[in-house]
Amino acid sequence: MAHVHLEDGAFSLFWVIVWTAIALCLIWIAVYVLGRRESLTTRKMAIAAMCVAVGFAIFQIEVPIPFIGAIHMNLTPLIGILVGPGIGSLCVLIINIFSAAIGHGGWGMIGANTIVNLIEVTMGFYLYKFCRTTIKLGRFPSGFGAATIALITSAFAVVAIVTISGIQDSAQGAEDTLRNMLLLAAVNVVAAVIERVVTGYIVSFIGRVRPDLLPDYERGGERESGKPEKEAIPGV
Amino acid sequence: MSRRSYSKHIPDFRLISHYAENGKSAVHSMNAWTKIALLACVLALAIVLGEILLLLLLYLLTLALFVIARLPLRLLVGWYSLPVFFVVTLALFFIFTEPGHELVSFSLLGIHVVITDAGVLLLAKLMLRALAVVTFSLALVMTTRFQNIMTITSRLLPRPLANIFLLSYRFTFETTDEVSDVLDAMHSRSGSLARGIARQTGIFAGIFGLGFIHAFERGERIAKAMEARGFSGKFPEHGSLTRPSVGGYALVTLAAVCFAIALYTRYFDSSLLGGL
Repeated sequence: MAHVHLEDGAFSLFWVIVWTAIALCLIWIAVYVLGRRESLTTRKMAIAAMCVAVGFAIFQIEVPIPFIGAIHMNLTPLIGILVGPGIGSLCVLIINIFSAAIGHGGWGMIGANTIVNLIEVTMGFYLYKFCRTTIKLGRFPSGFGAATIALITSAFAVVAIVTISGIQDSAQGAEDTLRNMLLLAAVNVVAAVIERVVTGYIVSFIGRVRPDLLPDYERGGERESGKPEKEAIPGV
Repeated sequence: MSRRSYSKHIPDFRLISHYAENGKSAVHSMNAWTKIALLACVLALAIVLGEILLLLLLYLLTLALFVIARLPLRLLVGWYSLPVFFVVTLALFFIFTEPGHELVSFSLLGIHVVITDAGVLLLAKLMLRALAVVTFSLALVMTTRFQNIMTITSRLLPRPLANIFLLSYRFTFETTDEVSDVLDAMHSRSGSLARGIARQTGIFAGIFGLGFIHAFERGERIAKAMEARGFSGKFPEHGSLTRPSVGGYALVTLAAVCFAIALYTRYFDSSLLGGL
């Protein structure tokens, strides 16, 4: 949802290099940690690849919204909840590469977009875990809450990235750019309500249908009270 | 061959693959390393070039390459929708506030709105940069066979990343078809995504949730099949990708020299451009 919706040429070469370098460092850390723990089994790799394919397919669907135009969901907090921040970070990088290949975001924006998506994946995972294990909320409120905070944070990360970088060839200063981008972030945060609700529903749905697909701390598939969760998706 | 896509505005991976595997043109026979290097040069030029005429020239060159590759221009126009939408969305926030000479002014809900020449120029530059890279990028993926993409990915990316990339590239066809099927089923029952926002969020979640569950199940099955076949952590490469030809090296060198000149004129000595 909240990624840098800019095409190539919007940032200067310096900032393209800076954001790409930061993203590469973060991805290198993820690859190193996964390799060191030897946790990237064939099963996890295949599941990560399927998550990329589904995430990319969903990412391409433009959902028309009155007065806003259209939004699309990338469900990155959900990917984080399902596969964790390590594998999730590899997933978002590949989704961004696929997207750039077909003009959905620029090649030079892969770095900036990956940073934003990494925030969503990481926050989505840890916040969901916190809600489930510490606050002991149900799956829907945990998924909704984690996605809400992750998406709002990433929307402001977009504002920060664009404000720091500036738009190439624009005479506007950081203050004007910040004002413009805050307006865009406000629209993004409002439109992201749909993604938050969908994330909560999907987590709840998977918890009922295939609880074993959720992370280890979810084992049991029932709330702490022992009562099964209320059917979140009527008729499905 | 059937062509299935969510809409005319989103490139269809299956169609892209069809052109890449079956096309016969000079661009198809160009070495894949040459095309990757040229993509990097086009990207760098689109970022560094500041003059609108030079950006227009860059765009026309990428468009010429698309035509030489015998790729469908009609589809390209439809696929431009997303990049154009993104550029306009951004430019809308800047076009009215960019300092410059006033071109048009009007009042909207009591607010005095001014469109300046600098605002329009900014929009035009952003648009040309975006379209130049998108056109070249699509030309690249529509003229490069999967086997070559596989070789390049295996050489450029770390192994875990390359493995996930290659697997997901193959899975994308399946999942895209699956999501398209669900959307077709929804449309055939008079459902719509616009109505879905207000009243059918649950159905949305069902569609996407099922997509993820199917993905996990299929992933598990594939993992078992791969392990049964003795997967050792690296996909075997079929065939090899040769080095670029002399002509390929010359083309990349020419593009790199253009980039170096553009970089120099942009950041060190703009007088080289003369009156452009």
